[in-house]
Amino acid sequence: MIASRPPHPVVLSVGRALPEHHVDQETLIAVFRELWSRKHHNAARLEDLHRAVGVGGRHLALPLSEYPPLDTFAKCNDAWLRVAVDLGERAVRDGLARAGLAPADVDQLFFVTVTGIATPSVDARLMNRLGLRPGVRRTPVFGLGCVAGAAVTARAADALRAWPGEVAVMLSVELCSLTLQRDDLSVANLVASGLFGDGAAAVVLAGGERAVGPGPRVLATRSIFYPDSERVMGWDVVEGGFKVVLAASVPQIVREHVGGDVDRFLADAGLTRRQIRHWVAHTGGPKVLEAFETSLELPEGALARSWRSLSEVGNLSSASVLFVLGELLDAGEARPGDLGLLLAMGPGFCAELVLLQW
Amino acid sequence: MSGREAAVAAEIRRLAREELKLEGEVGADEELAGQLDSMALLALVVAVEDRFLVVLTDDDAAGARTLTDLARLVVAKQVAAEGAR
Repeated sequence: MIASRPPHPVVLSVGRALPEHHVDQETLIAVFRELWSRKHHNAARLEDLHRAVGVGGRHLALPLSEYPPLDTFAKCNDAWLRVAVDLGERAVRDGLARAGLAPADVDQLFFVTVTGIATPSVDARLMNRLGLRPGVRRTPVFGLGCVAGAAVTARAADALRAWPGEVAVMLSVELCSLTLQRDDLSVANLVASGLFGDGAAAVVLAGGERAVGPGPRVLATRSIFYPDSERVMGWDVVEGGFKVVLAASVPQIVREHVGGDVDRFLADAGLTRRQIRHWVAHTGGPKVLEAFETSLELPEGALARSWRSLSEVGNLSSASVLFVLGELLDAGEARPGDLGLLLAMGPGFCAELVLLQW
Repeated sequence: MSGREAAVAAEIRRLAREELKLEGEVGADEELAGQLDSMALLALVVAVEDRFLVVLTDDDAAGARTLTDLARLVVAKQVAAEGAR
């Protein structure tokens, strides 16, 4: 097994927060239908595409009636900032409460998003909201996209290896609905508008000298970058804000690479795939989840939580994999000694793997 | 191909190149699926439906393996619609 010097950091809890405005997929399709039928001869095809992403409903940052006036990037981003701070606060408070900690216990605060921008960053605004200590070290990260929840949880664990007596919070807030480009009728945008949802998750971690509780230890992490795949996923920044770039090759990249990448990562830890009892996979979409299942030859039901999360709340970008991790912790089914692998992919194109042990 | 089908094929090529910015020239008798990924193919189908005011079912799309097939299908749909009027 991996040497334990300094002691491994521990995931204490995952706080979660969803906006209160839940809308089912058929209601959203009805809203889009009017938009599509003005531009497309066969709007039914687009409806089928929206149904094919496997999402039953989503929690939206705002009531549906408040979206039409958001016709500039500035208006979208103002709404994003207002909701992101509220939702982020709820997620952090939930995470700390689950871990039995208070805001005063936090030493490091990481913040990730890819759906809005702000300076001072959301984490700075939360310093005031939550009453965090002025000495808290903050790291806001923009641009990692869907991989950020896994990647920056890994970076937070790295930091706790240097500071094993500290507590770190890694907050992800993604409000994908506020990035929707209504005039973009590309297939990529049609898929994105059916798939992505809004939510926030806060992982609370403690260094190995500080940790108490049953949560999993972070044994090892790995970042993997796929060269020359910059146009696979991301944003083009346009007058209206963030215009989605999404290639059909995402599931194919997962299929081609993830099996070998996971095997090499586990082999370096003296492990094989069969020893992983808990798979915590980013809810990229049906084709991505199928690609994970195929490439990793996973047993039936191994990604049940990811599928359920996709159906219930949609793809929450960087927060998605953290929601799945939170559900696993809530279920309490992991036993001491169990191994888990958290994995996500995102723009770059890249992947992040996090090896956990209860 | 009839003259009408050839004209439709040329217009589909133009749509792919100019409006969808799909890279590479689509050969008349090459497999569309071999040249375009699933999203590009879907974008092309949507663009063809909008341009020629036809509805292509999944069965239609499955039967249209090449640009020539697609052009023939569009013309057949147009002729059927004209006959119905």
